Amino acid sequence: MSASGEREVMLDVRTQDMELNMGPQHPATHGVMRILCRVDGELVTGAQPHLGYLHRCAEKIGENVEWLQYLPYTDRYDYLAAMNNNLGYSMAVESVMGIEIPRRAQMLRTICAELNRIGSHLIAFGTYGLDLGAITPFLYAFREREWMMALFEKICGARLTYSYIRIGGVFNDAPPGWLSEVERFCDVFDEKWKEYVDLLMLNQIFIKRTANVGVIPAKMAIDYGLTGPLLRGSGVNWDLRQDIPYELYAEIVKDGAFSIPLGSGEHGTLGDCWDRFYVRVMEMRESVKIVRWCLDNIKPGPIIAEIPKVLRVPAGEAYVGIENPRGELGHYVVSDGGKVAIRCRVRGPSFVNLAVLEEVMVGVLLGDAVAIIGSTDIVVGETDR
Amino acid sequence: MDFKGIHDRLRAIQAPGLLGADEPREADPEVEGDKGRAGDPFVLVDPQAMPSFLECCRADSVLSFEMVIDQTATDPGTDEDHFWVNIQLLSLAHKHRLAVKAILPKSDPVMPTSALVHKTCRWHERECAEMFGITFEGHPDPRNILLPDDWDGNPLRKDYEYPEEYHGISCK
Amino acid sequence: MVLAMLHATVAQASEPGSNVVRDLIEGLSLEGIPLWVPPLAAALVAVSIVVALVSVVAMFSVWLERKVSGHIQCRYGPMRVGWHGWLQPIADGVKLLLKEDLVPKGADRVLFVVAPAFVLASILAGMAVIPLSTDYFFAELDLGLFVILAMTSTTTIGVVMAGWASNSKWSLYGAMREAAQVVAYEIPLGISLLVPLMVAGTFSLLEVSADQAGVFGMNWLIFRNPFMLPAFILFFVAILAETKRAPFDLPESESELVAGFMTEYSGIRWSFFFMEEYAAMFLYSAVGAFFFFGGFESPLSWGAREAFGADSLIVPLIEVGTIIVKSFALVFVMMWLRWTLPRVRIDQVMTMGYKYLTPLSLVCVLGAGTWELIWNLVLEG
Repeated sequence: MSASGEREVMLDVRTQDMELNMGPQHPATHGVMRILCRVDGELVTGAQPHLGYLHRCAEKIGENVEWLQYLPYTDRYDYLAAMNNNLGYSMAVESVMGIEIPRRAQMLRTICAELNRIGSHLIAFGTYGLDLGAITPFLYAFREREWMMALFEKICGARLTYSYIRIGGVFNDAPPGWLSEVERFCDVFDEKWKEYVDLLMLNQIFIKRTANVGVIPAKMAIDYGLTGPLLRGSGVNWDLRQDIPYELYAEIVKDGAFSIPLGSGEHGTLGDCWDRFYVRVMEMRESVKIVRWCLDNIKPGPIIAEIPKVLRVPAGEAYVGIENPRGELGHYVVSDGGKVAIRCRVRGPSFVNLAVLEEVMVGVLLGDAVAIIGSTDIVVGETDR
Repeated sequence: MDFKGIHDRLRAIQAPGLLGADEPREADPEVEGDKGRAGDPFVLVDPQAMPSFLECCRADSVLSFEMVIDQTATDPGTDEDHFWVNIQLLSLAHKHRLAVKAILPKSDPVMPTSALVHKTCRWHERECAEMFGITFEGHPDPRNILLPDDWDGNPLRKDYEYPEEYHGISCK
Repeated sequence: MVLAMLHATVAQASEPGSNVVRDLIEGLSLEGIPLWVPPLAAALVAVSIVVALVSVVAMFSVWLERKVSGHIQCRYGPMRVGWHGWLQPIADGVKLLLKEDLVPKGADRVLFVVAPAFVLASILAGMAVIPLSTDYFFAELDLGLFVILAMTSTTTIGVVMAGWASNSKWSLYGAMREAAQVVAYEIPLGISLLVPLMVAGTFSLLEVSADQAGVFGMNWLIFRNPFMLPAFILFFVAILAETKRAPFDLPESESELVAGFMTEYSGIRWSFFFMEEYAAMFLYSAVGAFFFFGGFESPLSWGAREAFGADSLIVPLIEVGTIIVKSFALVFVMMWLRWTLPRVRIDQVMTMGYKYLTPLSLVCVLGAGTWELIWNLVLEG
């Protein structure tokens, strides 16, 4: 960048790196989060995330409310994929209790979790376009998401924070006609998905903005404990639904109903922002396949196991991790046999994924910094809990 | 590999700091008040040897625990005088997990940092430190992460008292 | 800026028989009024017409943008305020006038207040040069295009002033990007305009438009030379960058810089910036319409001239309609692009400007000149 003559001039001129606050209120930080950047002109020389603006003491609350009462709090960490949060917590408690979940409940859980995955990835897709200046894909994504939220409203009454998947199963059976509407949604979504690919993913300007930007090598990803699309975007074939299957995923994988998209450095380096975006867009299509499998195989039956109203979980502890749209959502619950948990730890994938920014955001331009933050797809509710 | 196989391997390679294992069991009718233990098994590790234990787990090809999924701490109760430090390990190559527990006395909760072994532990340890008051020696960046920099006390302790007010905002 | 405009229009107005308004005022004025009053009054009327025109254009563009963006995004846009929301800009204007007049703490007060006025005045000065029909114009300048390019370049000063005076790091970023981007794209803008200048042979907008009359009013410059189409494309890309429209809207990039150099502005001051943006879009589109797409000429105006004679009232009205429709067609394309494409990064913008657009526009000029030479040789030889 600078010839030797220029460098001599630069030494005479005293410049100082500017500290720029991508502050708590900023259109590109996906929530209330502060990233203190040190910039030299447009070049970012250091980035330090500051968290805690949305810390709502979820873990402390877990030690003060009863097991069943804690469920609505789980909705609110990753509020864009609330079904998955419910699922993670319920599975952790069920693991300590050692109970069996009825099959129809598992089917409904899987359908809802995968539909929520589609909804969450739609937001990731839309807001990423918004960060980079393409405003229209956001509205197209929300058109589909509205339908998904309407589906959820029909089955559990809520659009964003569902508390639908409960300990032992689900609390409400699918109303008549719901399953066929889900199938219609899948058909329409497959068509619209092609629009998303053409409009944003294969757009030349988008590729120029995201290829070779924010490269996370596989080794760095594993070292930082990254999971989800960040890990798969770097080429590591790891998805909990396939590798440590839970619920019905063992059967679904055996039937070959879906595959795991991986980043491949198609338009740039392996592990760049485009690869992560590609993984998310492809995962939406795979989720549709899982939903179709469930629709083909669902049968009538009970939807919840017998759980007493005042639940006492036997003494013990368990950690259960599930595949959230953002990575591995882990719940570590400790019980001493009482009504209230001793410890209810939430391993939020966004919290862990955010740490990589300190290393990846150095040496990029400010426009790239925005692209990188968007590609980690964090939800600050999960980062801070 | 199941837990028994992992534990046997750890013993075979003489993993540093390995103290024992705890597996789920039924309530023992002969011991009064014993509720048994449900859930997952875990290994007990000496906290002072934790970094070398983690390094050993990663280096061994049969275990191959490349990733630390979670590191947290637990305060089991006001009448207990120990903290637990819980680490969840994951092996991508062999698709197995391991739960690791270290016991730290509440009077002197100090242990060496694992952040130099696994970078993900940096933020997890910052959270443990501010929430429980555990000191991780050698941590490269021991600032508060979720709490404000001037917060008093360690909230996730069972004997934590909320402050009266914080910068003029009442906490009661 | 206003003085320059006044001067041009006064000079125009001072020639006897050349200014409708001046003649009207002279006819109406009482005895004993000094000689300099009617031309000045005529000039003031002209200035107010320009301001009114720009305001109407801006208001219409606001409505058009909201409807266009709405329909591209599968929604309707404003629908309540008037039929399909056509009164929405008026409602917005009233709201903006009633907003609190905020100057941020630590901001340079003088520059902060002057910047939007500066920016708008530059565009108004450029607008004074655009004729509306062969009879209705504010100033007939021999160097019309040159004056327009010069005037519109000075908007950058206003933007940089706004960014600096806001006392905010984000505004400063917007201002710096604006300065870099506009300066970079002035070059391909000017060079790509050399192509129609060469073919038409004149800077004056009225003459250029008259030159494109021809058969059925379709002897447009864009058809006269194979290098005109590439030149137009380069011109269009350059004006996208000049008017800070997507994909070059970095100076005001919403998602990165909140609102770039406009972050600290609210109320009527902010609306000045927006008026400037839409007026600039219209201005450059009008330049494009004049120098590539025939200006006032179209089959309709040719037919009207044949049918009703060149002096009737219908012809100027059709000409006004033609130029407005052509300009707004280009404005519509600019809006369409904004809502489709993502934003380009600043270093990519600069690379494109210096490394690709400038050499390409030079090639166009070279090619166009060679073609003209050969064509003229063929015609004459």
